[in-house]
Amino acid sequence: MADPVSTGVCDAMSENTPTISVKFASGIYVLLVSLTLVTWFVGRSSLQGLPLSMLVLVIALFKAQMVGDYFMQLKPLQGMWRWVVSLWLLIPGSLIAIAFYLS
Amino acid sequence: MFDPAAGQGQPGEGPLGAAGEWRNAALPETENRYPPGDLAIWVFILAELAVFGLFFASYAFTRMQHVALFNQYQLTLDRTSALINTVALLTSSYFVVRAVQAIKSNDTQLCQRWLWAAIAMAALFIAVKGHEFAHHFAAGINLSTNTFYMFYLSLTFFHFMHVVMGMVILTAIALKARKGGYSASEHTGVETGASYWHMVDMVWLILFPLVYVMR
Repeated sequence: MADPVSTGVCDAMSENTPTISVKFASGIYVLLVSLTLVTWFVGRSSLQGLPLSMLVLVIALFKAQMVGDYFMQLKPLQGMWRWVVSLWLLIPGSLIAIAFYLS
Repeated sequence: MFDPAAGQGQPGEGPLGAAGEWRNAALPETENRYPPGDLAIWVFILAELAVFGLFFASYAFTRMQHVALFNQYQLTLDRTSALINTVALLTSSYFVVRAVQAIKSNDTQLCQRWLWAAIAMAALFIAVKGHEFAHHFAAGINLSTNTFYMFYLSLTFFHFMHVVMGMVILTAIALKARKGGYSASEHTGVETGASYWHMVDMVWLILFPLVYVMR
C-alpha cells in the first residue's frame, strides 16, 4: 500500500537534510513560549496603540521566522527555498503594518 | 556535509558554548537546495501560505474601515484560550522536531511516542478551540453578526480545519512508524508530515496576535 504521507515525488531530495540539535531545539522552544507570554501580557493589559501593535507584530514575525529556520530546517538550505518563509512573512507582515499605521 | 549524529547532541555539551559551537549545534552546514520531505507538500505549503497571507492582509485592511468595531468585539475574545492554544501548537511542533530527530537516529519507538505526544497537543488545541466556537455559537454569534466576527470565525475555522488535517497526517505517520515503516535511511514521510505541521503552527503564530491582541 502506498505511503499516505509520502507520495514519492521527490523522496530522494531530503537525504542530506541536516538535523537541529536537541538542546538547540529545546532552547528555541523555550524562547518561542516566552515571547508568546509577552504577547499575551500585552493583550491582557489595558495598554493599546500603534507602537504596542507593532511590537506584537514584530514578535510574531520573529517567532514565525524561528519556526521556519529551525523547526522546518530551512536556514541551512541553499537557493530559493531558504527564503520562502522570510518572503511570506515580509509581504503579509508589511501589509498588516501599513494597514495598522493608516488606521 | 551532513553529520548524521548532529541531532543527538553531545554528552556534556554546553547549551550555549562558544558562538561557533552554538551555530554548529543548531544546524550543520549543508549543500542541500531542497527542504525536508516531499516536494509535493512544499507546493501545497506555498499555496496555503498564500491563502493565509491574503486572509491576514484582508483582515488588516478591512479593519481600517471599522477600527472601533474591531476593537470593541476583539475584547469579547478569550485571550487565555488563545494563549493555551498557542503554547499547545508550539509544544506540538517541538514534539514533531523530536520525532524527526528520533527517526534520524533510527529509534522508531521513540519517534512514534513523540508523534503521539504531538497529536495529543493538537487534540488539546481542538478541544479548546471547539469550546470557544461552542461558546460563540451559544451566544448567537455567527458569520453575519458583524464584519469582525465574519473574519474571526472564518479565519480561525479555516485554520482549525488545517489542524484537523494535520492530526490525520501525523496519525497516519505514527501508525506507519509503529509498523516499522520508517528508518534512519527512509524517513521522508516523517519529514513531509513535520513540514506541514510546522506550517500550521507558523500560521497560528501570526493569527493569534493579529486577531486577539493587535488593536
